[in-house]
Amino acid sequence: MIKASNVYKTFKTPGRRDVKALVDFSTDIKKGEVVVIIGPSGSGKSTFLRCLNRLEEIDSGDIIIDGVNINDRKVNINKIREEIGMVFQLFNLFPHKTVIENVILAQTVVRKRSKNKASEVARGLLKKVGILEKENVYPSQLSGGQQQRVAIARALAMHPKIMMFDEATSALDPEMIGEVLDVMKTLAREGMTMVVVTHEMGFAKEVSDRVVFMDEGQIVEEGTAEHFFTNPTHERTKLFLSQIL
Amino acid sequence: MAFNKRSLITLGILAIITVSIYYFFTGKGITYIWHWEKIPEMLFYHGAKSADDPIVRLRMGVLMMGFVLTLKISIASTFFGIIIGTIVGIARLSKEPVTRGLSLAYVELIRNTPLLVQIFMIYFFVGSMLRLSAFAAGTAALSIFAGAYVGEIVRAGIQSIHKGQMEASRSLGMSYAKAMRHIILPQAFKRIIPPLAGQFISLIKDSSLVSIIALADLTFQGQQAVARSYYTFEIWFTVAFLYLIMTFTLSMATQYIERRLAISD
Repeated sequence: MIKASNVYKTFKTPGRRDVKALVDFSTDIKKGEVVVIIGPSGSGKSTFLRCLNRLEEIDSGDIIIDGVNINDRKVNINKIREEIGMVFQLFNLFPHKTVIENVILAQTVVRKRSKNKASEVARGLLKKVGILEKENVYPSQLSGGQQQRVAIARALAMHPKIMMFDEATSALDPEMIGEVLDVMKTLAREGMTMVVVTHEMGFAKEVSDRVVFMDEGQIVEEGTAEHFFTNPTHERTKLFLSQIL
Repeated sequence: MAFNKRSLITLGILAIITVSIYYFFTGKGITYIWHWEKIPEMLFYHGAKSADDPIVRLRMGVLMMGFVLTLKISIASTFFGIIIGTIVGIARLSKEPVTRGLSLAYVELIRNTPLLVQIFMIYFFVGSMLRLSAFAAGTAALSIFAGAYVGEIVRAGIQSIHKGQMEASRSLGMSYAKAMRHIILPQAFKRIIPPLAGQFISLIKDSSLVSIIALADLTFQGQQAVARSYYTFEIWFTVAFLYLIMTFTLSMATQYIERRLAISD
C-alpha cells in the first residue's frame, strides 16, 4: 500500500545547521497494517508522515502509494490526499465552523457530495466517535479530547484508504487520552491501514502489527510491540524505552 | 454602576469644552451672525429646479447631492479596494517571486506617494487616455489607494492564521484556492475587521480629495456653497456632520459584524 524507498529529507534554514530528518529511509506498509512509529523528538517520525501526503517535499527517493509515485510531477496531489486522512497533534479543527460543518466541508468541496449525503456521513461518523450530541457547537467549546475525536471524524469522512496520526494524543490532558485511543483502536480493529506516530506503548501493544523505532532519520529497530517490550536489541532502543515506559 | 467617579470627570471636561466653544463664538473675540436657517434648503427643498425643470416637488439640495456622491464613491472604492486588497494580500505571500515582487512594488508605490498626486495622475493622464469620467477616475484612484493598504492588512491577517489550518485543509484534499476560500480567508477577515474599518473610515474622509478634479462630492459642494453664500461656519459644520454620519454608521456596522462573528470564539 505504501512503499518508501531511500527517502532523504533535509531541512535547510539559512543561518542554521541543516537538519537531516530522513536519511535513506525505506519501509513497506501493507494494506490493513497498523504501524506505530516511535522515537525521540527530532528523529524524523513526523517528517515521514508529512512526506507521505507531501506536506513536506522529499529531496530524493521514492514514495509509492497504491501504485502511484506521489512525487511524480504529473500526479495531482489533491487526489492522493483525499485517500490519506491525517490527524494532527493540535487537532487543527476549523474554528469558524461548527463540529458538523467541520466534518461536512471537505466532503462537499472535494468529494463533491451533496449537502444531504455529507450530513448523513458526518452524523454517522460523529456518532461513531461518540460526539454526535455536540454537532452544532463550535470547536472552542469542546475539550481537547472531544476536538481530536471530531478531527478523526473529519478525516474519516473522506473515506480514506490510509489514516495517519501525528502524535494525536500528545497535546491532551491525561484523562482524555483514553477516549481518543479508543477511537483509534476501533479503527485499527476494523482493518484500516494506519501509520501512527505516538508514545502510547499501550496502544502499540494492543493493536499494532509492527512497531518502528526511529532515530536520526533512520529505522534503528522494528518488530512487534511484544518484541520491544521483551527483548529490544539496540542500546538506543533500550535507553529510549526506559525513558517512556 | 454606570456613572462612577471617572465618568463624572469626563462629563465635567466635556461641559467645560462646550461652554468655551459657546463663549468663543458669542463673545467679543468674533462677531459672526449665524444663519442656520439657510442650511435646511441646502439639504432638501421643495420647489422647481430651473426653467428647464419646472416641476415643483421635494428635491435634494446641494449638500445632500454632495453627500450622495461621496457615499457612492466611498461604497464603490471600498468594494474595489477589498477586491484589490485581497488579491494583493495573497500575491504578497506567493511563492512565485515575480508575483511577490510586483505586489510589493504596487504597495510601496501607492503607500509612499500622496493620494492627491495619484488622483491627478489618474484623472489627467490615464483618465484622458481612456476617456474616463471624473467619477470613474476618482473611484479608480481611491480604489487603487485603498487596495494597497487593504493588501497589507489582508496579508497580516492571513499570516496570523496558524499554519495548521492550511495543512489540515490540504491534507483533506483541498486545493490551495479552496483552502484559502473556505478556511483561511474567512478566519483572516474576521480578525482584520477592526483595522479594515479604520481603513475604510479613512477612505470616506480621503474621498474629499476628489473634489480637486471637480467631482461634485460633499466637500466640493460645501466649498461652492460657501463661495456663494458666505455661511462659512454653518456649511462646514454641516459638511463635517454629514461625514460623521457616514463614518459613524460604518463604525457601528463593523462593530455589529464583529459581535456577530464572535459566536465561534
